Amino acid sequence: MKRLFLLFMGLVFIRGYALAKDLEYFQVYKPKEGMDVNEIMQIENFIKYTKFAHDVKMAGKAYFIDKSGWVREKETTRMRITLDRVSDGIAYKDMVMFTSPQVKGLASLTWTYLDPTRKNDSWLWVPSLRKVRKISSSNDDDAFMGSDFSVEDIITRRFEDETYTLLREENFKGYACEFDKKVYYTNTPSYVIECRPKRSPWYYSKRILWVDKATGGGFYEEKHDFNGRMFMTLFKNFEMFNVNGKGYPTQTLLEGKDLGSGHRTVITNEDIKYDQGLSEELFTERALMMSRW
Amino acid sequence: MKRFLPILAAFFLAGPVYAMDNLTLSGYLKNETSIRINNMNGDLTKEKNIAELAGEYKIKGDELVFFTKAKYWYDAAYDAREKLDQARHYMGHVQRTDWLRDCYLDYTTDTWFLRLGKQQVVWGQADGIAILDRVNPVDLSEYWLPDMQDIRIPLWMANINYTPKLNSNLQFLFIPDFEQSTSAPIGAPFTFYSYTRYNNWKKAQNAMGSSVDENIYFPAKKFENSTFGLQWSDRIGDLDYTLNYLYGYYYSARNTTILAAGAGGPYSSWKVDRAFKRYQIYGSSFNKSFTNPGPMQGVTLRGDFALYKDEPTYIGDPTTASAKRIARWDNIFWLMGLDRYFFIKYLLSVQYGQYILEHGKEKSKGLPPQQQYPMNAYTYGFADQVENIFTIKLSTQFMNERLKPEILWNFTDDNQGRLSPKVNYEIMDNLVLTLGVHYFYGNLYDSNGEFREENQFYTNLKFSF
Repeated sequence: MKRLFLLFMGLVFIRGYALAKDLEYFQVYKPKEGMDVNEIMQIENFIKYTKFAHDVKMAGKAYFIDKSGWVREKETTRMRITLDRVSDGIAYKDMVMFTSPQVKGLASLTWTYLDPTRKNDSWLWVPSLRKVRKISSSNDDDAFMGSDFSVEDIITRRFEDETYTLLREENFKGYACEFDKKVYYTNTPSYVIECRPKRSPWYYSKRILWVDKATGGGFYEEKHDFNGRMFMTLFKNFEMFNVNGKGYPTQTLLEGKDLGSGHRTVITNEDIKYDQGLSEELFTERALMMSRW
Repeated sequence: MKRFLPILAAFFLAGPVYAMDNLTLSGYLKNETSIRINNMNGDLTKEKNIAELAGEYKIKGDELVFFTKAKYWYDAAYDAREKLDQARHYMGHVQRTDWLRDCYLDYTTDTWFLRLGKQQVVWGQADGIAILDRVNPVDLSEYWLPDMQDIRIPLWMANINYTPKLNSNLQFLFIPDFEQSTSAPIGAPFTFYSYTRYNNWKKAQNAMGSSVDENIYFPAKKFENSTFGLQWSDRIGDLDYTLNYLYGYYYSARNTTILAAGAGGPYSSWKVDRAFKRYQIYGSSFNKSFTNPGPMQGVTLRGDFALYKDEPTYIGDPTTASAKRIARWDNIFWLMGLDRYFFIKYLLSVQYGQYILEHGKEKSKGLPPQQQYPMNAYTYGFADQVENIFTIKLSTQFMNERLKPEILWNFTDDNQGRLSPKVNYEIMDNLVLTLGVHYFYGNLYDSNGEFREENQFYTNLKFSF
């Protein structure tokens, strides 16, 4: 009986903990003193996917820079609508439209589900076929659109995919961005968190992540392989956008470096507009079908 | 080219002077070169230079938008190679009004989307096989090798869409325009063997002093001869599906050869009529990605089904390549496809389909037994009652998507098919080089096998702006 009671209490505790962890969409959260590492990472994940905003639209540029400094460039327009809808389990929908000449017209629509075990649904408008094509979700460890970021770095890694340990709190020394030659986050109070993937084997053994105490944004990380060697660094610059009196931490620049090949990818986000009342009709197959390019 | 340059100039330069922010232009210059590699004799079979320019003008934001695309090309191989002279009139440069690839006005509201003008409409989920993708006629002058958007012949139409609820769409097509599907003329690398056989027969008749009177009957330009289409798209759970209906003319005219006078020997009179026949398509398509955990997670399934009601089907004697009549059969074409990523970055795409004729042999008694067989329209060979079709495609990428190899294998159960490996290499942002091979194999009377002497190595160089 005692064992059953303990089991029951254990389940109640686990359930209660799980409920306490769920952050409400469309709110702005920041780390607070006394929060544990899971709570901090919940906020970091929440910010990464702009769950505080109803919708966002931005223009993006991606620079692919090889070891010799030779640069390829691609431009996109991106939109996201956050739904947090229980009826069909959809968390948010993303639309990415390529606007640079070589890939002009190429567009992808992705629906991400609330259930962390579900893969995304994705559709692609293929200009050479002039039709919408349902596509299989890329593997999480595949390169995101040919960049140095993995798919999960950008769109699929969830809070539930890793376990977390707070290593220390420190003032970050600063990140010297190779792209614009600026130094970011000098002496920024940060949490230093070790993130270990639950999947094993996986393409990394751990990430060391620096989270800004002020915003909760994870702005710098180092990925390590199974031999403990660092093979990639990833930097994100967050800027605070004031939207209807609320501060939205927003990624404006990302720089990923493959330390093995020397290849870098830089993504810049510009012309960012939040909560414009985007219609969900813009995130449907029909919207893709209407493409002219 | 001279004919449409002033129109383009007037539109792009003079018209939108006050609204340049609303105007977007894009296009490309491209060279396509191919060399026949049979016997390693290095015959140049294509030296095509293409210029395309597209313009989008937002008249009233995203609500009212005008879009047009013009494309000009000429193929220098037809100037350089005497061997290709016979096909030069058709293959050497862009034909008639084919330079205008798109020209339409889009009107969009929350529930309505209207696209009025010259355009392509694409139905179905099959890749590279036109099962439901039959709204537009096709230009097969280079067989099925070019991109589908270049194979389809755009038509003037009203494309009206209504969304009664999220993720659903009702599409109505009214197509008063009519163009026939086209194929390569005699003397081109991809002339259908049926055409070659027919031409050989015609030459033989002329040599014997016989006459061949050829007539083609196009549908009269009347409202009732328009094509009408309807598509309902919706989503059940995470299954996307469509229901399709098309009523219109079959885009390929069918030949019937009749002995008008004489005994069939020297100095006979032959009559060859080509006519377009009405038919209907009842169809459906679906796709579903398995997103939940389990062995199927990550797999995308897709499929097309079509019943071609009253499809004009050649009946005749395949041994003499003589089409005697056209049967109006209810034929079925269905296909299932499966896509999945494996390892890290390899995408495998597999398709299996069947084209099923209503009968194995014409049942009417008006023809002798040897003339009662359904014929393959590409070759005038025997057509199987059930044709099993397979495609396998494997693609991947290296160097941060700069290098993209791909291999496509199309084949049927008749031991004939095509193997097409290729690699795309991004030289610069806007400059892409493609190297590839098309290798055909099989029987001369099969759709791919007929081109077994036309294996080619090709290069494409495309500069986009």
